[in-house]
Amino acid sequence: MNVLRRFARLVLATLREISDENAYQRHLAAHGRQHSGPEWRRFSEERLRAKYARAKCC
Amino acid sequence: MKLLTYLLWGAIAAAAAFCLGGVALIRGEHINSIWLVLAAACTYITAYRFYGRFIAARVMALDDRRATPGERLRNGHDFEPTNKWILLGHHFAAIAGPGPLVGPVLAAQFGYLPGTLWIIIGAVLGGAVQDFVILFASMRRDGKSLGKMAREEIGKVGGFIALVTVLIIMVILLAVVGLVVVNALKGSAWGTFTIAATMPIAIFMGLYLRYWRPGKVLECSAIGFLLVLAGIFGGRSVAASASLAPVFTLSAMALAIGIIVYGFLASALPVWLLLAPRDYLSTFVKLGVVLMLAIGILIVRPELQLPAFTRFVDGTGPIFAGKIFPFCFITIACGAVSGFHSLISSGTTPKMIAKEWHAVPVGYGSMLMESFVAIMAMIAACVLQPGVYFAVNSPAGIVGATPAAAVATISNWGFPVTTATMAQLASDVGEKTLFFRTGGAPSLALGMAHIFARTSGGAVIGFWYHFAIMFEALFILTIIDAGTRVGRFMLQDLLSHVAPPLGRMMWMPGVIVTSAMVVAAWGYFLIQGVRDPLGGINSLWPLFGISNQLLATIALCVATTILLKMHGARYAWITFAPLVWLVTVTFTAGWQKILSPLPALGFLAQADKFAAGAADAATATLIFNARLDAAICGLLMVLVAVILADSARVWVGILRGTADAHVREAPFVPSRLQAEEL
Repeated sequence: MNVLRRFARLVLATLREISDENAYQRHLAAHGRQHSGPEWRRFSEERLRAKYARAKCC
Repeated sequence: MKLLTYLLWGAIAAAAAFCLGGVALIRGEHINSIWLVLAAACTYITAYRFYGRFIAARVMALDDRRATPGERLRNGHDFEPTNKWILLGHHFAAIAGPGPLVGPVLAAQFGYLPGTLWIIIGAVLGGAVQDFVILFASMRRDGKSLGKMAREEIGKVGGFIALVTVLIIMVILLAVVGLVVVNALKGSAWGTFTIAATMPIAIFMGLYLRYWRPGKVLECSAIGFLLVLAGIFGGRSVAASASLAPVFTLSAMALAIGIIVYGFLASALPVWLLLAPRDYLSTFVKLGVVLMLAIGILIVRPELQLPAFTRFVDGTGPIFAGKIFPFCFITIACGAVSGFHSLISSGTTPKMIAKEWHAVPVGYGSMLMESFVAIMAMIAACVLQPGVYFAVNSPAGIVGATPAAAVATISNWGFPVTTATMAQLASDVGEKTLFFRTGGAPSLALGMAHIFARTSGGAVIGFWYHFAIMFEALFILTIIDAGTRVGRFMLQDLLSHVAPPLGRMMWMPGVIVTSAMVVAAWGYFLIQGVRDPLGGINSLWPLFGISNQLLATIALCVATTILLKMHGARYAWITFAPLVWLVTVTFTAGWQKILSPLPALGFLAQADKFAAGAADAATATLIFNARLDAAICGLLMVLVAVILADSARVWVGILRGTADAHVREAPFVPSRLQAEEL
């Protein structure tokens, strides 16, 4: 049961990484800020600008 | 305990050899797909444990005591040490594209054996090695890109050529994947409605994420997925509606123009509105469907219907012309070796590695996973009846313009199929016809639908077919919009040297002009593919495969240079051997595509054949297109020949001791990362 729980946690963490939710949490922690709409938009714009400046794989 | 370990690894290696032998030698009966699954899985496990770890320990001397860029340069954004399994998932999601799905489906025209063997062997000895060594090199150089490493390790020419090659590949890639979508959706009201519905859904997701529930990406993606499923069900009603079906039943040209307009809008619109939400959604759908397919194959264990070899090993195939060597390798492309992966391995991933040894599963392991996806695509294509497979994938220009002519031609080849069978199949999946749907996507969707439907007791095959089409089109369109945007950035960067305002990323006239230029470039090739009497895939997919493998050649040149600087000639064979193979394959393919006297194969012969026909405007365009394809192919070969010559100059210098053999790694800094931080 513990193994399953750990696996589920890992899957969720991977999904959070892919969805940039983890990166957002790191951003809040690194800058000592609280979550808010404007803060997410600031983070998201910077993140997406860098993300879509790189080629996407085929 | 040690003896048990030896026995276990001996058993896995023996199973790999036994299954590979079985796949290669069993004849005269249908082979079960489990043979392929086991052959691939056991080979990958053995290669990962022994070859991957050999490279890691002996060649790279990975050292977990050494701080990675993620730790040393940690900034909470790009540089962030990340759990290795999370990073593995992240990296796999980044490298997995349509290539490993479409390539094997097309290569199945040779039968299941050539493609399967190359997918397994090519990934183990070539693709995974390339990804792994480039990841290692970038990790030891503060996460530098392939272009920067090429410039530093080989010379300025290498860096510039890498940039130009990437731009050309992008143009060809976007055109060919656009053509795959066009051929999947032409004349299909159900499919077109489903894909069209994803656009307002993506915009809804963008607004939801930005204004209503900021930061809730997973929640938003789950809602988006439910809406897309509703779109698939809605598509069936639209296809059945007398008033709505004609609106969504579009010709190939109309769809191509629609995709071109979409690519332009997606490139020019704010990224949060359309591109990003679609990308999140398509990544999750892609991972989920790949997992579903793996489970489905294990449950159903379908038998392969295509033979080990078909008669088309002689180069007369209807899907694309050319013999097994070199065209099987060019066509499989990303499922075995992908040059594009070197851009990901020298992009985000090296900045997120927490410990050096994590590069083994992330770099080597994720390519093996991608290769396994290619094996599943091969299985999905080969479970179709051969006659059906060729009826779906062959262009009208080869097999005849009517269904009756097509089944007669295909049956004469020894792959019996009837118009009644095809009509029933089309009716089962909710389509008017499945003839002449070149590009690989519809036959892959058919194979997947068979597997999924049998998993669910044989029901709703129409739903599963359109689910698979939605899955393929969704992430292909994401590649089109992201690729157009990236191409625009590259072009803005290049043009800023002659017209500085064009370099400003937020200057709207510059954005519009450069977006239009990029869209026009790939849109031209897309239209060319739609008009091509041989279906377009015959010309564009080999061109894409050649350019992709040539990018891998550049990556392996950089890797070989680095290994030579580290160890002299001792371990250079690890990247040099796949490099020699790729150079042989790509240059042979390029040579044949330009100069073969067969019109179905050689671009110039094709142009001559058109020139001998009617002298009208349409023919003049076909002649120009064939010559343009030859020129692009020639340009790519010249660019890579230059970088090869430049690399060879550096290698000889290193071995003779006359060139700078200094290893440009970041200095050793002891790691302070604790296990609990990961």
